[in-house]
This record gives sequence, structure tokens and C-alpha cells, in this order.
Amino acid sequence: MTQQSEWEPKLLGFLCRWCSYAGADLAGISRKKYPANIRIIKVPCSSRVDSLFIIKALRLGFDGVLISGCHPGECHYLTGNYRARRRIAITKKFLEYLGVEPQRIQASWVSASEGGKFAEVVSEVTEGLKEVGPNQLFSERKLNGTKAKAGSQRTTRAEQG
Amino acid sequence: MEQKLRQEAKELLEQNKVDWIIGFEPGSLKFTATPLITRDKDDTERLVINPFMVNNLADFLTGLKGRVGIVAKGCDSRSIVSLIQDNKLAREDVVILAVPCPGLIDLAKIEKLVGKDRDELDDITREGDKVIVKVEGKKKEFTTTQVLFDHCLACELPTPQEYDILLGEVRPPAPELEVSEQNIAKLKETPTAERWEFWKNEFSRCIRCYACRNACPACFCQRCFVEETEPQWVMPVPRWQDNLIFQIVRNIHVAGRCTDCGECERVCPVNIPLRSLSREMYDIVDELFSFKSGMDKEALPLMAHYEQEEAEDLFR
Repeated sequence: MTQQSEWEPKLLGFLCRWCSYAGADLAGISRKKYPANIRIIKVPCSSRVDSLFIIKALRLGFDGVLISGCHPGECHYLTGNYRARRRIAITKKFLEYLGVEPQRIQASWVSASEGGKFAEVVSEVTEGLKEVGPNQLFSERKLNGTKAKAGSQRTTRAEQG
Repeated sequence: MEQKLRQEAKELLEQNKVDWIIGFEPGSLKFTATPLITRDKDDTERLVINPFMVNNLADFLTGLKGRVGIVAKGCDSRSIVSLIQDNKLAREDVVILAVPCPGLIDLAKIEKLVGKDRDELDDITREGDKVIVKVEGKKKEFTTTQVLFDHCLACELPTPQEYDILLGEVRPPAPELEVSEQNIAKLKETPTAERWEFWKNEFSRCIRCYACRNACPACFCQRCFVEETEPQWVMPVPRWQDNLIFQIVRNIHVAGRCTDCGECERVCPVNIPLRSLSREMYDIVDELFSFKSGMDKEALPLMAHYEQEEAEDLFR
């Protein structure tokens, strides 16, 4: 039994209350199949998602983060998703520069009527995460597999969640 | 130029046009200048202009009540304009005394080149594009590219664009981006996992003194997220994970406000190459949204504004 075959990525989804959450609901109602790897947090608007949430999710061990909101121009609060778009764009680019695999931070526009698209997005993102492998960004392990210097392995409240 | 600055500063205080003057006075150590914040007109006699006035004075503006006369290099003026954009400051509350800046001399670079401590150097003078260092009776010549701060080499605005009183001649910008960004270029060539490893190592040195945050004129939150306890986003213990999260989020928070003044890197007591982060963020913002902070006081702040079509290739 190898660990590799057992491992399933954990994906955290921030879904906007007005479009994508309803889209996910529709995917369920219309019995579309999508991977159970996603854990969903309902947010009032995609612009509620602070960059800190994304990084914190990676810190807590999620393998990827998906932020989903209304299509541009269809935001319930008129401009929320435009603002979210700027913020997510810089966060994604900046983390990529730092050395986070770009597949780990994903964003999509899914409207309330796009249950099919939601199922597709989650499948694609999960596949992408399977390719990059488990998130070890914040673990103490070094590149060659050895543990980093002792004394820094105390678990903290931040790690326990 | 120094005489004119003293004269103007004195007049501003005498005529009650400002309550405060912020500038530089000679530091207690060799080759240093230290910020001078005063309301006494006699203190203006101590004001200096030299290539060692490294601090970004805009950082003190938000802490002072009343009208302020401020000595500003190009980078300081950009930070001031950025504060005006963010409504942290009213334009009529500052009198900008603009100093065209030929670039600041990085003593650490000179120490490295000469192989001596700064206390052992006799004199450092600048003549055009050359910097002459006198040590043990001998003269050593360096080019400005060798000894200026990295961020000065990338300077796009040596003379403030926004000013009330201009001291000296306008200097055209002459950025040497290649030299200035060589560390970033090198990092970008390394594979993703090694890049993360690099930052991991750098930030395991961090002692979380928050000097970078406190020296940054763009970091003006009343309460920083690292000090929040409900929820506790990061631990106050300086472990590399939390240090790195602090710095990543700090950089994201000041995106569109950061003017690449290089203060974070200069003040870091453990020499983490912080400018390699802030400059990259500056470039990302410019590339994605063609936005340069602190250039135009009428422009809306980066995060308060949007275009109908932008960055769509990042979304599914």
C-alpha cells in the first residue's frame, strides 16, 4: 500500500453567496458529479476573500484554494467582483513568484445557473492539484526530505486551526 | 542648496505657514544624516542635504498634527502623493521642499568594496558619476552604479513631481533597471520549489522586530493584522512560517502604495532582501494594471478602482 495512491487533495472553496454557492447547489440538485475534495465556505461576496484567507488556508494544510464569484458585471453589490479580481490577481502572481505552484490558487466565475460549469471547475482544479501533489509549503520538511532544525516543531494554535 | 533650504524653512516657520519642519540634520556617526522634526525656527540652521539622507520622511507625516513643511527627495514625494491618494493627508497641509536627488550612497556596498568598516573611512565625496572614497590617505574611485542603493538605481523620479518649493535643478531620471533587479531576475530563473526554499531560509532569520512595517510610509493601518487575536492570524513567535506570512500579506496590503523606496530592506537588522519582494510586487501591479503609485495625486488608489476588462486570463 503506497501513500501516493491513497492521497486525495483537499481543496478549500470560497463561494459567493449570490452566484457560485447557488451554482454549487444547482450542481447538486441536477445530480452532476464532482469530486468530494472540495470543502465550501460561503462568503457574502468574492471580494470578502482577503488575501490572508488564501495564505492561511495554505498554512493550515489545504492543497489548494478556489475562489468563485459572479461573472464580471453581475455582482450583487455591483462592483465587488471587480475588486476581488484585482486582489486575487496580485495575490496569485505574487505567490507564484515566491514559489507557490500556480495550480494551488484558482479563481473562477460561476453564475447561479451554471451547475455544470461548477462541477467542471472543481474536477479540473482537483486534477491539477493531484498533479502538483500534497502541499508541503509550510511543513518543516526540507527539499531533500529531512526535517529542518530541531526546536521549531512545536505545534501551535495556528497549526491546529 | 543647503543655504536656500535653511532660509526657506525658517521663513515658513516665521510666517506661520507651517507648524512643523521635517528634514535632516547631521547624524552622530560619520556619513549619516538623521531626521530632524522641529517647530523651532533656530533648529532650521542644522538642516543638511547630503547623499546619506536615507530615511523616507513621509513616514512621519501621519503622526503630526498641523501643517508640515517637509524636505522631500523624489521617493519621499511619491510616498506623500500616495498618502494624499489614500486620503491620509490633505495636499494643503503639506509644504513640499523638493530636493532633486542624485541617488543615495549605500555604505554597506562601500564597506564591501573597500573591505573596511565605515568608521575607518576618511571621506566620501561625490563628483558627477564618480564616488571618491578616501581611506588611509589613498583615494579610491567607484562608479555610482557600484555604490548607490539598488532602489536608487531604479529611480524613476529623482526630482519630486509634486512640490511647493524647488531647491536646485530638475534631474532627469536615468534608471539602471538591469543592475537594480538582478537579484529578482536570478530568483525567477530558479525552479519553483527552490524559490520557496530560498525564502524559507531567509525568513528563518527574521526576528519579527517589525522595523520594515514601521519604516514603511505605506504601512499606516491603526491595527496590524499580526496583532489581532480574534482570530489570531499569525503567531507572535518568530517562526519562519509566520514570518513569511507576515511579509507576504504586508506586501499584498501595500500593493499600489509601495513606491519602491527601499526602506524595508535598508532597515532590516538581519538583512533579508525585502526589496526583492516589494519591487516584484511593484512590477506586478504595473504589468497587470499599468499602475504606478505616487505619480498622480488625482488618480484613484489601486484597490479602490477597477477596469471592466483586466486580468481575465487568471480566471476560469
